Amino acid sequence: MRVLLVEDDVDLSRQLKLALGDAGYAVDHAADGEEAHFLGDTEPYDVVVLDLGLPKIDGVSVLERWRRDGKTTPVLILTARGAWSDKVSGFDAGADDYLTKPFHTEELLARLRALLRRSAGIASATLSCGGLRLDPRAARATVNGEPLRLTSLEYRLLHYVMMHQGRVISRTELVEHLYDQDFDRDSNTIEVFVGRLRKKIGADRIETVRGLGYRLTPLSGETEAA
Amino acid sequence: MTDQPEARSKSWGRWFGRPGRSLTRRLIWLASAWIVLALMLTGWVLTSQYQESALRRLGDELRGTLDEVVIATIVTPDGLEVAEIKDARMLRGLSGKYWMVAEPLADGTVKVLARSPSLSGETLAIPVDLPSRLQTDPGGIITYSDPGILRPPLRQPLRIGASLKFMPDREAPLIFVAGIDRSMIEADARQFATYTWIALLILGLGLVIAVFLQVQIGLRPLFSLRNEIADVRKGKAARIVHSYPMEIQPLAEQVNRLLDHNQETVERQRTHVGNLAHALKTPLSVMLAEAGTQTGILPDMVRKQTEVMKAQVDHHLRRARAAARAQLLGERTPIAEVLDEMAVMLERVFEEKSVEIDWRAPDELGFRGERQDLQEILGNLMENACKWAKRRVRISAGPTGLGQMVVVVEDDGPGLPADQRDAALERGARLDETTPGSGLGLSIVVELTRAYGGSITLADSDLGGLKVLLELPAAEA
Repeated sequence: MRVLLVEDDVDLSRQLKLALGDAGYAVDHAADGEEAHFLGDTEPYDVVVLDLGLPKIDGVSVLERWRRDGKTTPVLILTARGAWSDKVSGFDAGADDYLTKPFHTEELLARLRALLRRSAGIASATLSCGGLRLDPRAARATVNGEPLRLTSLEYRLLHYVMMHQGRVISRTELVEHLYDQDFDRDSNTIEVFVGRLRKKIGADRIETVRGLGYRLTPLSGETEAA
Repeated sequence: MTDQPEARSKSWGRWFGRPGRSLTRRLIWLASAWIVLALMLTGWVLTSQYQESALRRLGDELRGTLDEVVIATIVTPDGLEVAEIKDARMLRGLSGKYWMVAEPLADGTVKVLARSPSLSGETLAIPVDLPSRLQTDPGGIITYSDPGILRPPLRQPLRIGASLKFMPDREAPLIFVAGIDRSMIEADARQFATYTWIALLILGLGLVIAVFLQVQIGLRPLFSLRNEIADVRKGKAARIVHSYPMEIQPLAEQVNRLLDHNQETVERQRTHVGNLAHALKTPLSVMLAEAGTQTGILPDMVRKQTEVMKAQVDHHLRRARAAARAQLLGERTPIAEVLDEMAVMLERVFEEKSVEIDWRAPDELGFRGERQDLQEILGNLMENACKWAKRRVRISAGPTGLGQMVVVVEDDGPGLPADQRDAALERGARLDETTPGSGLGLSIVVELTRAYGGSITLADSDLGGLKVLLELPAAEA
């Protein structure tokens, strides 16, 4: 497994390189944002450990560039700024996990293992509908290239309607496919989630068919993406 | 019981008490005093002018009567004779219009030579000093008021005019006297005065009411500015947004500038503390990692002390934020947005467990405080819930009225026994017993919640795990 370690503190990089090496990773190290961006774009890493406070280009910008370039490598961000607002902006940029400094090395190794397990999920075809794209492998969706931030219920809802696009799906059907056995099976809440999803993907994409249910259609004028 | 009259006198006193500190009162008092003064002066001028002109009209009538009498008087060798004047009022008894011709005697008294039939034998009163005063100005007229004829029940106050004339063919002068009943005119004057004062009183009251309304309406922008500032304090608004009349617009702008300045100061302070604290974190990581690779007394001590330092840094970072927060005004954070971003993020972090976060909150519900703080509170609580949950985390938020809202965070994990809950909250509130990675990590939540005047309670969830109830200030949309 190849890991890219992006950290500008000399001592911390040395320690982490050692620890990661001991854990069986092949480690590349970048000490600033420019080098990190270049390495991440050119080398096929399995996972990236990214410090946010970097010289030249900050970590969030590096991450945003990778994601814009289509890199889906899982990224764990290291940050001294433990505030949730910083974590949220990291996730908005495309991070998969975070660790707040100071941390225990074992914690870092455990998180990396989890990230690698996750990314090794079963691959399946990308779904698309107009400007909407959904990648079931990475559990990510985009609208016109912009990443969507979805909760798991919203994601499942979108996944389901994308798999059955063009067809009218009743509320009962959605309830049955979205909730586990032990969840409150209240079909009214479907409206809430459809409402939230519409807000995120554009209101006109999910059409309400009166008395029958919902239907996902591409927006008029949108061409089916290849 | 005793409160009520006091309260009433207070509200009374608000408008009519001593014109000390209230602008409204000062304006009303000044205007009222001026109005009363001006109206009293007006009343006095009007009534005295009316009375004077009435007396002048009487004087003219007296002069006319005197002329008639003088013309009708013929001097005869054995005295004088007054031709009959064709005026019913001078003929009918006690009609109210009289004349008399008299002759001044050497001792200062007079001798009546002729009188009008209307006098019915009465005499017009002539003051003792009148003959001598008349003699200094023959032909001139002296007028005066007199109680007049008092023959009960008749009471006829008179206005009397007297004139001294030298007649042809007669050596001694004659005093001609005419009297007219003045009771009618006096009644008129009294009526005029009454109506005038009533009208002026109504006018005065009207003006005072107008001033009162004018002050109320005129000062209304000031009251609405006050309400807007109160809204800022309550967190309903961030700045003064309305425009005001040019007299108080500068005040509103200064308030805004003060708010900006406040915000800047707080931000600067926060940045300083944040920079210091964050700068310490990487060296701490290094020490922690280095000590972790070795065993022995020194590495153990370094590890332990590093943990303490880390806790201290976190604690003071939060303290600085809390202190800054107390001064911050007017923030409003939509809770649904924060719940959504946290849910999206935490589900990804806990993807391996496939934790499902089900959140419900009205779109219009707002937290009266800063976004960062709400993120801290909910982030920590939700992260905890995800950590302990088997599969499910449920969050619901709703307003409770009175500017408060309640947020419930539940999970289906093992929960916390009732006897440990207080301890968990207490430990959360105190630094020294908090150890990183252990416990519920509630300390920041407890501190922030208390800083906002909210409360936090732990209970059992029907999902099986822990239920955290948060009460926080809500901001109206």
